[in-house]
Amino acid sequence: MAGLALRDLRKSYGTTEVLHGIDLEIADGEFVVLVGPSGCGKSTTLRMIAGLEEVTSGVIEIGGREVNNLEPKERDIAMVFQNYAIYPHMSVKKNIAFGLRSSKMPRADKEARIADVAALLGMTELLERKPSQLSGGQRQRVAIGRAMVRDPAVFLFDEPLSNLDAQLRTQMRLEIKKLHQRVGTTIVFVTHDQVEAMTLADRIVIMKDGHIQQVGTPDEVYRAPANMFVARFIGALSMNILPATLEAGGDVVLASGGRVPMGLPGTGRPVMLGVRPDDLHPQKGGLIDGTVTVREPLGPETLIYAETAAGEIVAKADGRHPPEVGSTVQLGARAEDLHLFDAQSGVSLR
Amino acid sequence: MTGYRNLTIRQKQIVWAWTFLAVPVVFYVVIRFYPTGTAILISFQDWNLLGSRSWSGLENYRTLVADPVFWKVFKNTFLYLLIGTPVSLVLAFVIAYHLDKLRFAHGFLRMLYFLPFMTSAVAMAWVWRWFYQGVPIGLFNNMLASMGIAQVEFLNSTTNALPAVLAPAVWAGLGFQIIIFMAGLRAIPTSYYEAAKIDGVGWWTVLTQITIPLLRPTIVFIVVFSSIGFLRIFDHVFNMTTNNPGGPLNATKPLVLMIYETAFTNYDMGYAAAQTVVLFVILLIVSLIQLRLLRST
Repeated sequence: MAGLALRDLRKSYGTTEVLHGIDLEIADGEFVVLVGPSGCGKSTTLRMIAGLEEVTSGVIEIGGREVNNLEPKERDIAMVFQNYAIYPHMSVKKNIAFGLRSSKMPRADKEARIADVAALLGMTELLERKPSQLSGGQRQRVAIGRAMVRDPAVFLFDEPLSNLDAQLRTQMRLEIKKLHQRVGTTIVFVTHDQVEAMTLADRIVIMKDGHIQQVGTPDEVYRAPANMFVARFIGALSMNILPATLEAGGDVVLASGGRVPMGLPGTGRPVMLGVRPDDLHPQKGGLIDGTVTVREPLGPETLIYAETAAGEIVAKADGRHPPEVGSTVQLGARAEDLHLFDAQSGVSLR
Repeated sequence: MTGYRNLTIRQKQIVWAWTFLAVPVVFYVVIRFYPTGTAILISFQDWNLLGSRSWSGLENYRTLVADPVFWKVFKNTFLYLLIGTPVSLVLAFVIAYHLDKLRFAHGFLRMLYFLPFMTSAVAMAWVWRWFYQGVPIGLFNNMLASMGIAQVEFLNSTTNALPAVLAPAVWAGLGFQIIIFMAGLRAIPTSYYEAAKIDGVGWWTVLTQITIPLLRPTIVFIVVFSSIGFLRIFDHVFNMTTNNPGGPLNATKPLVLMIYETAFTNYDMGYAAAQTVVLFVILLIVSLIQLRLLRST
């Protein structure tokens, strides 16, 4: 068990710098998810923590000890790979035992540890099987078992759920979360799926182009996104962004005409007003007028795609009586659900 | 055309499949199976290529079993197989394993190794024959002489001749095997090695527990192919011992060369056919055994 710290971590391939100084403190026992679009540097960061990529500059500490120049095996970590990396020619038991191969533990202890892990993951009956006889979820469990058997200070997960189908992914997500609650080991988990990040993490690290955009609890990054990128990236439905102006009186005036008092000092500077589809509903005297072009019934509620003067925006309506396609609606939200960003930098203004 | 149109999709697929299969089927029947059948037939006959054939029953096979040259040749053929296959397999693997890790001049080196495979066996055999000559002509003996080591009779000694003939044959096949091995090595996902690195196992464990077991299909392919190649060795032997094919004293003579001499020096086609049938049976058995041994997991 140990915490983890990254200090001004940089990575270059030749002259191209792909990580531009990552600073991150991860507490002992914390579940941290690195999330971002492809090429954002999340996997590179994880592989550097594992020791599979060399550090160009900066420091990686595991349990207060600098590990920059330690071999992966000396770092007291275990990793679960996207394609599981379980050996097809070995039985489940041998695969799990492979994680203990280099340890000097007595044979009986190794056997006991393997049995414990198999029991914990509910795979005791599968130990003699070959990977080809297992389902995707079971293979994933073997990969986790091989990592667990080493009893590492830190678990690293590199997109471990992306090869599973949607239903299995939800199930394995839950299992990983339960596992973390039970064993309490520090976990660094990489994914490109924001739903996975939101559901699993104690804290989410959102990355883009080799920079950290925001670090925070799922609630923080959802309710108070640091910038427009985070606002759009987090949330099952992407946030609506509408061009507006912040006027001297503190009112925000939409380019399409609507006006909201935001109580922010401003002098006619251009801003972007953000509102999540979940917070935007048809209501009298709303923020913006639009024509319903598409309806997506989800049961309890219906998604409404409306064509407005500011482009297409998405809102949520009641599931029983949604507005008709072609009808004109006024869409509005509560003032506290509105987000305001600087039009140039995209940085949140509140 | 209406007949075709009324067929089900499945039937149409069958019609097209057989249309395309017809070409290789005709080829195999006319060029492969018919001569094979005829060879088996001739092995029970007496024929000097010009006169009429006469039935001789098992006479050719009886002669074969009683022929001391046949047993010598039989032994030689298996020596080519039993030395050539493991030596070339290990050499090809070691070179491919290291070449795979090399970035610098990778393509150039791979081309160099592949070059002998594209070269004519005759030209190669004659160059190696020159290498093996005595001082002051031969390359190897010149090198030995410059180091003060006694001359070695490579091709004129009954003990040295077979390995000396085998060496260029191994060398010639190496390029192909290296390419196949490298393709096999590339097909192993890097995450297997990364997982092993994190688990902290040594290179020997990685090699014996991960790389070699995962290369099994590649190894099966190479072993079967090179075994068939060594069992059918002919051109290297024939060209390196032209003055006395298969010599000295039949020390290098493989089965195919014996068949060639029986057929086209002695014009004893029935006897040659019997030898061919024996070679065919050996190839079949060796291949089947290897497939069975290496395929079982």
